Amino acid sequence: MKWYRIKALLLKYYFITLNSADRIFDIFYWPVIDVIIWGFTSYFIKQISSLNILSMALGGLILWLFVWRSAQDIAVYVLEDFWSKTLYHLFSSPVMISEHITSIVLFGFLRSMFTFFFLAALMFMLYSFNVFTIPLALLASSIAILSLFGWAMGLFITGLILRFGQRIQVLAWSLTWIIQPFSCVFYPLSALPQWAVPIAKVLPTTQVFETLRSVIFPTMGSQGNLWYALVSVLLFLVGAGWFLGSSFKKAKKNGMLVGAE
Amino acid sequence: MFAIEVEGLRKSYGKDIAVQDVSFKIRKGEIFGLLGPNGAGKSTTINMITGLLTRDAGTIKILGSDPEKDWERIKNKMGVATAYYPLNEILTIRQNLIVYSKIYNIQNANERINSLLKDFGLEHLANKRIGHLSSGERTRTTLCKGLLPKPEILFLDECTIGLDPDIAQKTRQMILDYHNETKCTILFTSHYMFEVEQLCDRIAFLDKGRILYVDTSKELKAMIKKEVIQLTLKSNTEKLSSFLRKKSIRIISVQESIITFELQENKETFQLLKEIFNQDFDVIDMHISKPTLDDIFIHIARNGK
Repeated sequence: MKWYRIKALLLKYYFITLNSADRIFDIFYWPVIDVIIWGFTSYFIKQISSLNILSMALGGLILWLFVWRSAQDIAVYVLEDFWSKTLYHLFSSPVMISEHITSIVLFGFLRSMFTFFFLAALMFMLYSFNVFTIPLALLASSIAILSLFGWAMGLFITGLILRFGQRIQVLAWSLTWIIQPFSCVFYPLSALPQWAVPIAKVLPTTQVFETLRSVIFPTMGSQGNLWYALVSVLLFLVGAGWFLGSSFKKAKKNGMLVGAE
Repeated sequence: MFAIEVEGLRKSYGKDIAVQDVSFKIRKGEIFGLLGPNGAGKSTTINMITGLLTRDAGTIKILGSDPEKDWERIKNKMGVATAYYPLNEILTIRQNLIVYSKIYNIQNANERINSLLKDFGLEHLANKRIGHLSSGERTRTTLCKGLLPKPEILFLDECTIGLDPDIAQKTRQMILDYHNETKCTILFTSHYMFEVEQLCDRIAFLDKGRILYVDTSKELKAMIKKEVIQLTLKSNTEKLSSFLRKKSIRIISVQESIITFELQENKETFQLLKEIFNQDFDVIDMHISKPTLDDIFIHIARNGK
């Protein structure tokens, strides 16, 4: 891998973001809508039940962003290369698949961080919710694990796109939302039905959110294991990386890179 | 020394065979044309050589190396342009070229980009998005991208499709100028025979995934020893028609004062025309058509090797 080529691709994604209104729009629009809906819902629940779920809802929302953005950015930027048929030019140049993915991952992370700080400011202004009351080490490690999991999903979706083409592109937008209910983002693990608990426990995301709850709401009885989350997310990442590598080989074999879909 | 060596290349998609047993060698500095109708296997062959498509069988050597073991070095020396795939449509021409200049780590990139934009008449469109360009302008942009790294090997896949005749001619001249300046190797595909004839040192005829013939255009044309002669007469053509029939010459058509016939040997042509002019046939105009590469291609495709 050559850093100058990764920088060149980062520049490409910067230009795409600069020129494309919807790429700028999705940094702000959906996150802001979510913040407003969850904020108002939390206020309403507090009014009728004296239960304060604001911190849990907004905390979950702002951190889930790293899973969602990381996965979607990887998949959508690869899909855009498919739509615009630029994979032909990209891979007839010295660019390697690892450099391509690294650049998207880095760019996606920068976008996530940008949205994170923007939402953190917005939540503080609207609801006086300060995400930085979470211990910094816990916040940083949670962001790291959630981002790694998002990347693993993004690599997996990219692998599927390379293998099956644009007909499975709906996964680029939907896969994180399939995982979310089992990740216990807005409620504790104990709230899940029995059949869903084993699925939830396997996910590193559940462990992260359970750990966060155990620190922020000690009385709730949540228990997470960040070490398990770290090891499992690395395994997910290695598995997704292997799947992507094998899908890339298959794409070169079945002509997917040259539009023979 | 060969720039590209291809041996027994084969590619199929399921039961459809795209390319079978394709072999050729391109000398360094040579312009080599792959000629054939749509679906002949030209782009598939180029895509396998450029590493975009995995071959089912066969070997490829580029600049003496197996590209699978040395893609990074080889791709830094390669330029690819095609009419089929535009550059990123969301980006402007300049933004696209800046990105590729950084991918190839080109020094003085702005100077190089400006010079290419000027050469291809794209200066005034530099800040326009690819998506807003005409197909000809897009094709010229991919040519700029192909030439950007000053490649040792240039792959040009149908790169004049969609260009108006004037721009197409200028583009062919640009390619020749670049070749004369750098002595690079060019693999050129087209289904325009005249274009391949104008540019290429040697030509490979491809049809249904197979190479039918490889030679220079001069040698290929010599395969058909046939000329078509059209004479326009002042008076009626009946007298000349019977003269030709007596000599067992095949008359293609007779239209009022114009008679068209076919001769098999060059020597025969001179002799026959001498006889016609010595007799009183009142010839006022004459046109001799040599066989074109189109004729050769049709001949080869119909009759095989």
